[in-house]
Amino acid sequence: MQVRVRAFARLREAIGGDLMLEVPAGATVSMLLAAVGETSEQAEEALFEENGELRGYVILMHNGRRVRHAETTTLTLADGDEVALFPPVAGG
Amino acid sequence: MTEENGMISITRDDFDVNEVIGRVRRPDMGALVTFLGVVRDDGGIDVMELEAYEEVAVREMEAIRDEAFERFPIMAVEIIHRIGRLRVGENILLIVVGAGHRKEAFDACEHILERIKESVPIWKKEIGEGGERWVPGESHGGDA
Repeated sequence: MQVRVRAFARLREAIGGDLMLEVPAGATVSMLLAAVGETSEQAEEALFEENGELRGYVILMHNGRRVRHAETTTLTLADGDEVALFPPVAGG
Repeated sequence: MTEENGMISITRDDFDVNEVIGRVRRPDMGALVTFLGVVRDDGGIDVMELEAYEEVAVREMEAIRDEAFERFPIMAVEIIHRIGRLRVGENILLIVVGAGHRKEAFDACEHILERIKESVPIWKKEIGEGGERWVPGESHGGDA
């Protein structure tokens, strides 16, 4: 199935823009993030600590709704879903 | 609340502050508080690039507007946030709040501004002689 990944600000620059990734049916957000990390060294470094943990500042949204890091291993994706990755916001 | 007293927009275009105040004001309002955020010359900065997760940013600003109407006895709110490439001195954000009296208009305007800074997915990159820099967010990261 296909999942759309959108990235913003420094994460967009590291990942290189929005992605359409092919992931197996039943894939979790964690599995998707690992696949994003595999696209380039910069993406891997922007998303993960040396020990493989998701960096604390990365904010995640699934179809426009906030996802906590603790949920990433259990939240499963569906075909056509959108996952957004971004750093803390700085508007206004 | 109707479309008429709660407009929200994200745009690349500049806005005319007086025109916005003109469409918000009504005879029963005694106070119109306006916040205008502009690109500050922080030394060596020429331009600022603003980027938004637009669909979510609009929805979030609508939620902030609705929350302001619930918390304060105000009559109207308009919020315009610009994105794109802006030069020093250019307008970034306009919040206009109309109310019967000054206190609730000031309080609601400040509340809206702080909530925008806290939760609306918009980012700024400063570009100048010394290079580029993403402005750090004031709020917490992923797990907060």
